[in-house]
Amino acid sequence: MSSLLVWKEKMQRLYANYSLYILKALQLLMGLLLFGMINYNIGFMKTASSVFCTIGLAVICMFLPMIVMTLAAAALVLVHFYALSMPIAVISVLIFLLMYIFYFRFTPGKSWLLLVAVLAFGLRIPFVVPVAFGLLGTPVWIVPAGCGAIAYYMIHFVKVSATALKSSGSDELAQGLISFTKQVLANREMWIMVMIVIIGILLVNALKNRAVDHAWKIASVTGAAVCIVAAAAGNLLLDEKISYVIIILSAVLGAAAGFVLEFLFFSVDYSRTENVQFEDDEYYYYVKAVPKVGVSVPEKKVKHITERQPESMEGVTEQEQNFSAGRMQQPGDAAGYTGTASERNTEEILLTRSLSRELGLDQTHQNDNNGQ
Amino acid sequence: MLDKRKIRLMTKMAIYEKKYGEEDIKISGYYKKDYSSLNTWITLIWVSAGYLLAAALLVLCGADAILEGLTFLKLLVLIAIAAGAYFALLIIYGIGSGKFYRRKHTQAKQRVKKYYRDMSRLEKIYKKEYRDHE
Repeated sequence: MSSLLVWKEKMQRLYANYSLYILKALQLLMGLLLFGMINYNIGFMKTASSVFCTIGLAVICMFLPMIVMTLAAAALVLVHFYALSMPIAVISVLIFLLMYIFYFRFTPGKSWLLLVAVLAFGLRIPFVVPVAFGLLGTPVWIVPAGCGAIAYYMIHFVKVSATALKSSGSDELAQGLISFTKQVLANREMWIMVMIVIIGILLVNALKNRAVDHAWKIASVTGAAVCIVAAAAGNLLLDEKISYVIIILSAVLGAAAGFVLEFLFFSVDYSRTENVQFEDDEYYYYVKAVPKVGVSVPEKKVKHITERQPESMEGVTEQEQNFSAGRMQQPGDAAGYTGTASERNTEEILLTRSLSRELGLDQTHQNDNNGQ
Repeated sequence: MLDKRKIRLMTKMAIYEKKYGEEDIKISGYYKKDYSSLNTWITLIWVSAGYLLAAALLVLCGADAILEGLTFLKLLVLIAIAAGAYFALLIIYGIGSGKFYRRKHTQAKQRVKKYYRDMSRLEKIYKKEYRDHE
């Protein structure tokens, strides 16, 4: 455990030194994954789905705020949808617009959460979202998580029904609008997932704030378990076909992600918990103080054993040189022997001093001074 | 010679300017009540537009079910439900956005106040330097 903590400290130092580069690298990675996923799944427009477009967009978005990446992803999705069918693009614009009006207009800085949620669903690990968002965020994070689920299922639906959705003429516009809206909004799997994500985030967030020992672990495991139960219940009651492998695997990964997040952001030592009680004029206070775990990274010190052996004599040599230059202070002044005197221990200084007395260097120096 | 206190102040101020500066100064130009009411009204307009869009999507989605066996009474009930949902949404967003923008204004004001305080400190340092130089 202590080696892990040391490793964490090292990581923190590394992040502190190179935070700009690390953040930009993560942003680039996220861009590559996101645009790659969009182009791989719904790459209906050939020019926009090329590798150059994916990399180019990711690189451009790397230098810009995260809101730009969200807008670029939405635009890319709409371009592909437009290439497939006009009604799909229209309905998708409306859905994205609704997301903007009801939430992202207030906190545009949090729009990257939607991207994270979409990526998690795309990578088939949807239950990492409730655990991670619940542990690190606030209950309001249910909105970007839910929007992410809706956006993912919309893309997924278009991917699996691309052939059926492809419009053949403008006369089918109204029919296309109605059928696509129906199919997207009546997607029961999507609503099950939205509900699971909302319940999971609220539960995990409520549990992690409790004043019980190992609250984060309890929250992670409970959140993952509730996700499994809710998904299985949704499968059975609504006759859906959400893969049990994905359900269980993503819940396990979610719990594991919770443990990792606890280690990174909430490492405390419950064995040293202090429960104290005191009062003032108005209240009684019951305080539980849990100390943080922190270790300092051991400094690597190189000790040159062979070079330090003749140090006492070396000191004298240096002293002689300084005398000859007329720059040396009084020998009684320990700090004045050499520039490195402060690093020496007392014994060495005393030894050097006695040696210089025995060799008569004191007198020489005094005579020099008198002569001047 | 480098003055650590001056560098710290200038760094703090530069970070503030980069992160919040422009928006905060714009916000602090309003009285709190004016700022929150203006933005609440803008939000209500956006919410109305959003509600219309959402209603349009729902109508598209369930047009068959709505039109099937439509009577005058059913139509009235539907209109009442739609109006009720609309007003509920307006109230929720009105209260929520009012609180949100009031808090935003307070925070912006506090930050601007700190910024101006740092600015005056910096000015004092410069004046002192100027006097010492003379």
